[in-house]
Amino acid sequence: MPRTPRRLAGAAALALTAALALTACGSSGARPGSANAVVSKEANSSPYQGTPLTAHFDKPDLTLTDTGGQPYSLRQQTAGHTTLLFFGYTSCPDVCPTTMGDIGVAMQKLPAEDQKKIDVVFVSTDPQRDTPKVLRTWLDSFDKDFVGLTGSLDQVKAAAKSLGILVEDPVVNKDGSVTSSHGAQVLAFLPSDDRAHVLYLSNTSQDVFAHDLPLLAKGVAA
Amino acid sequence: MAGAKRFSRFALAGAGLAAALTATATAIVVASGGDSHAAARLSVADPYIPLPAGADQMAAGYLTVTNAGRGADRLVRVSSPGASSVTMHRSTESSMESVDGLEVPAEGALTLTRGGTHLMIMGWKQPPAVGDQLELDLTFEKAGTIAVQVPVKPLTYRPGS
Repeated sequence: MPRTPRRLAGAAALALTAALALTACGSSGARPGSANAVVSKEANSSPYQGTPLTAHFDKPDLTLTDTGGQPYSLRQQTAGHTTLLFFGYTSCPDVCPTTMGDIGVAMQKLPAEDQKKIDVVFVSTDPQRDTPKVLRTWLDSFDKDFVGLTGSLDQVKAAAKSLGILVEDPVVNKDGSVTSSHGAQVLAFLPSDDRAHVLYLSNTSQDVFAHDLPLLAKGVAA
Repeated sequence: MAGAKRFSRFALAGAGLAAALTATATAIVVASGGDSHAAARLSVADPYIPLPAGADQMAAGYLTVTNAGRGADRLVRVSSPGASSVTMHRSTESSMESVDGLEVPAEGALTLTRGGTHLMIMGWKQPPAVGDQLELDLTFEKAGTIAVQVPVKPLTYRPGS
């Protein structure tokens, strides 16, 4: 069952539409948890509080530089591991630190052996300013084991696009601040097939992550 | 004659009613135009700044402005004696946009919260630490400036947690 490019594109569009619809619910005042519950019929039968995906994206074929300055192949180095993937930038004041902080708080509630089963990967959308050192300092505030990747913006854009995530060029504002893109969602890849099975909008509550991380660590099907 | 009297009495009553309505309408206009506190009665609750994660000390500020008054107001400027830049932003689907002002609805609230509308704070005069307080001067179109002492909280803090 080889996947044609057309089918992949269609799947990405579907997932993006779901994400947009969810965000629309969130901005009208509904809590993310309850919004997630109504997005799809599958959600009702899923053990996860995050949104089960019907399009199971492959991990993007992405090799960038990690915070130790070494090449890091996302596919090879997270193979067979539950992986949480988020795109963002460190000078982002609101969504990025909130999202990574919520994951960090939930991770710290897990037993150490479960923590080791989950790779949390943050891919920079502002590689020019997010050097390995800048990324490491920022990520250490959340969790010293979080992986940070930086490198070619074109590669990052292509990888994000394959997951239905739009990454645009950073804009340097008059006051010197930088506005870049962040994903609207965190994607969870399961160890069974290294594909994305659960989506978390970036305003998902800590409680939802705390509920789902033990399931993700065990690789429970969505 | 009798008919004419009756008519004039009716007309007078009508004129009196109109005068009363005018007086009431005038009173409302005076209240909202003359005394800003009667129009928008603002108070600020739950202000906090999560400790910035990065070396650039890019920070966000969150708070709720409650308006108990019958007139709307608008937050038009925020500044701080302890930071060189405080701007208003709204997070969007995949980025954020700066905004010129934020409405404080009558008998409602303006809520600045994680993942939504927030203040962006840059250029700290002293590196922030948990427990510090930063003064934010919130300037409203009608109510003037309200100074708030905003505590720096742990990175993952949320009100009520």
